[in-house]
Formats: sequence, C-alpha cells, structure tokens
Amino acid sequence: MASYQALRHVSIGQYIPTGSAIHRLDPRIKLVCFALLMACTVIISSYSGSLALLVLITSATLAARLPLGYLLKSLRPALPFILVLSLLQLLFYTSGSGAPGARVLFERGVITITTASVQAVVVALIRFLGLLLLTSLLTNTTTTGDLTHGIEHLLRPLTRLGLPGHELALVCTIALRFVPILGEQAEAILLAQASRTITPEPHGVRKLVDGATRGARLVVPLFVDAYRRSEELVLAMQARCYHGGRGRTQWRALRLAPRDLVALGLVILILVGTILSRTIVLP
Amino acid sequence: MYDERGIRRVVNAGLLLAITLLLALTRIGFIPAPTPAGNATIAHIPAIVGGLLEGPLVGLIVGLGFGFASFTQATVPMFKDPLVAILPRLFIGVTAAYTYLALRQATKAQLKALLAVLLALLLYAAWRIYATPNEDGSQSVLIPVLIAVLGTALVAGLYLWLGKQDPRIVVVAMAAAVGSLTNTILVLGMASLRGYLSPAVALTIGITHGIPEVIIAAIIVIAVVAALRGLGQRKRSRVSQAPF
Repeated sequence: MASYQALRHVSIGQYIPTGSAIHRLDPRIKLVCFALLMACTVIISSYSGSLALLVLITSATLAARLPLGYLLKSLRPALPFILVLSLLQLLFYTSGSGAPGARVLFERGVITITTASVQAVVVALIRFLGLLLLTSLLTNTTTTGDLTHGIEHLLRPLTRLGLPGHELALVCTIALRFVPILGEQAEAILLAQASRTITPEPHGVRKLVDGATRGARLVVPLFVDAYRRSEELVLAMQARCYHGGRGRTQWRALRLAPRDLVALGLVILILVGTILSRTIVLP
Repeated sequence: MYDERGIRRVVNAGLLLAITLLLALTRIGFIPAPTPAGNATIAHIPAIVGGLLEGPLVGLIVGLGFGFASFTQATVPMFKDPLVAILPRLFIGVTAAYTYLALRQATKAQLKALLAVLLALLLYAAWRIYATPNEDGSQSVLIPVLIAVLGTALVAGLYLWLGKQDPRIVVVAMAAAVGSLTNTILVLGMASLRGYLSPAVALTIGITHGIPEVIIAAIIVIAVVAALRGLGQRKRSRVSQAPF
C-alpha cells in the first residue's frame, strides 16, 4: 500500500529556503538569467569553456547555499545508464570525426575513436552536470508562485502581439495547484482498484498489452475526473466575474532592485564571453 | 470579450498540464514494455488529448509542459538538452490536432480512399528503397520488405476496423498515432542531429520504442476521448439495466 502514497508528494524542484541573495533575486531576472545561461551551456563545445561555465554554475549553487551533495545524489540511480550511453557514443560516434584538427586515437573494424568524439562525450557530460545544477538553481530558489508570476510579467509585452500572456500564466498556476489534487485522485483510483484485486504491477508475457490496459484503467478515470473538476472551476470563475488579464492589478508588485541588475549584467557578460570564445579556437 | 469558452479552454489546458506533470514526474507515466530501455511513456498523452479536444494551441502548451517536465527530470545527458527535451514536444499536440481537424468531417469512403493512398505511398517508398542501390552497390531487401508487409498489414487492419467501427473513433486513433509518432521521430531525430545518438541507434530505438508507444497512445487516447465525448457504442453495465 505504501507504494500508492507517494503520488501526492510530487514536487518539481523542491523549494529550499536558505534566504541567500540568489533566493531574493527578482523572479523575472532569475528566469532571464536561467535562459541565457542555459543557452551558454548548450552552445559551448570546447573543454575549457564548458569547464569554466561549470565552475561558475557550481559557485552560484554554493552561493545560494543549496546542498550540492543532495542535488548530485539524484544522479546515482541513472549513473550506469549514463556511462553505458557515453561509452556507446564514444564507440559509434562518427558525425564529428571529419572535424578540423581531429586525430584518430584508435581504429579497429567499425570502431573509430577520434579526439573529436572524445571531446563530444566529455563536453556532453560536463554540459549535463551544468544543466542539472542550473535547473535546481532556478527551481530550488524560487517558489512556484513567484515563477508563474515572473512568467506572466515576462510574457506581458507579447500580449500586444496577440499572445495570451496572462492566460499562459494562469494555465501554469492551475496546473501546479492541481498536481497534488490529481495525485490524490490517482491514489484513490489505484486503491479502489487494488481493493478489487487489480494489482498495479504487471506480470506474464503479455506485458505490453497488460501495461497499456492498466495505464488506460488509471488514466481514463483521471481524465474524466479532471474534466469534472474543470467544469466546477469554470463555474466558480464565472461566478466571480473572471474577465481575463486586462486591467488586473497585483497583490505583490514586482520591483527591480540594484542586485537584480548586477546579476543580469554578469550573466550577459558570460553570454558575450561564450559567444566570443566560439570565434577564438580554444583547446 | 471573455466568454465561457475562453475560460473553459484555459482551465482545461491547466488540468491537462497537471495530468502531464503528474504522469511525467511519477512512475505511473511509464509502462513497462519489452524494449531495451524498458519503458514506454504515456506522459505525452495529455498533449494529444489537449490537441484533439481543445485545439492546437492547447496541445502546444501542454506539449511545452511535458517537455519542460522531462527536461527538469532528466537523468541522461540527452534530455538535459532543451533542443531535444523541449522543442520536439511542442509539436505533439499540434500535429495530432491538425490531423484530427483535417479528418474529422471525413466519411467512411473518404477515409478508405485515404488508406489506399497511404498504402500506395508506403509501397512506393519500399520500392524506391529496394531499387536504389546502397553506397557499396548492394540492394537492401529486408527493410523494404518489412515496410511493405507491415504497411499492408496496418492498412488492412485499419480498413477492417473502419468497416465496423464509428469512423470518428478511427480518426481519433489516427490522430493519436500521428501525435505519438511526432514525439518519437522528432526527439530521436533531434538527438541524432545534436550528436547524442548515432542514426543507426536512433532508428533502432525508434522502432523498438516508437511502435509500442504508438499502440499504447492510440488505445488510451481512444478510451479517454470516447469517455469524454461519448463516442462509439459502449456496452452498458449490466447493473444499470437491472429491473429495480
């Protein structure tokens, strides 16, 4: 039974309150910085550049006083998979072997290892670590309320172009609010089915068909329930004269502080550095 | 300016996104399947359902949420790349929605004609692969034969199914399959473009993973859409027919 209990405790990056300077940054600035840094980690492809970026991100994580060991612990179950995948990539990666300056290190049969493929694998691993820390740097230092608030503000200029910024933020808020409720509902469905001897673990050779019907058995009631709740919510919103984002004021207005501008300036410097480092060939 | 339909679309999108997050963030979104990776995902199904029931925009938003969830949860380098984890997922609900919109009004005869065209295209593709020699001058036989046989079986199955089933259900199944295939093809294509997988590995994963996911997606989406829209003939429970 305990295996059903976990569903309601879903969290997308648990908020870890340590009250650091990074926690206190404006959510809009944090989102922009996150997007820019993510772009940096994705476009960088040299050893020194990706290492430098990883060091930067790690120091930011430490500055936010997030428990680094705890963040990396989530990697442990996936470690063998990552290693096997990297090994496969190292052995069979061919598309970059024609790159300028690539030397062949090892060649036998279909297996060719070049400096380019080694670099691709190592950089991919460093990039992965960086992105892992970067995601937790955003989600562990910002409450979900602040996040949707920030998203709504950032999308506001696009409202003039016809993109529904307010509605998008509302969709996020509703979704985040309803995840635990639907989780509880899923639990109730699973328990109800278990009490009628439908076990959640498939066995036998018809695993796939079994799995599909079992999935349908859980997911279909979940969808029907979600649609019922949505009708109730629509009614409640209409009763309160909901009329969209126009002319709406906010309880907590976001205001930029000097530290926000400093953070944004730093990240833009890093981005410029990254773009420059692509034109200068680094080892 | 803000009517009930507008509110309903926003709220439904929110709830579908909530289901996506629930499925993507817990183990219930993964179905054990006899494939190398061991799991087929059903977390992309709310995006397909959103596309079918609420239109392409909602499909896009829910797909974005799915991409973001798989990005934050990723424990393999491939899915920590937003170009692989997020970008392809935007299109799941959109392609499913447009397939559905295009075929929704079709009659049985039109759908059968479409199946015939599909079969012709598949057979032509198989013939082209067979007739075009490889780089070393040999001819590939296995792949075109496989395409021809599987394609014929698929089209024949759909044709027979169309004969006795409500055509709207067949259309829902086709839209679900298109949505699921969008996920498989775009994610693996992007992964091999970005150099995480070699094309051969991507193709293998695509076949061993994509096909079960298409089947599961079609089954579940039909069940969900039929339940919500009251499509098809369903067997009444015997309890409700009891004489009291």
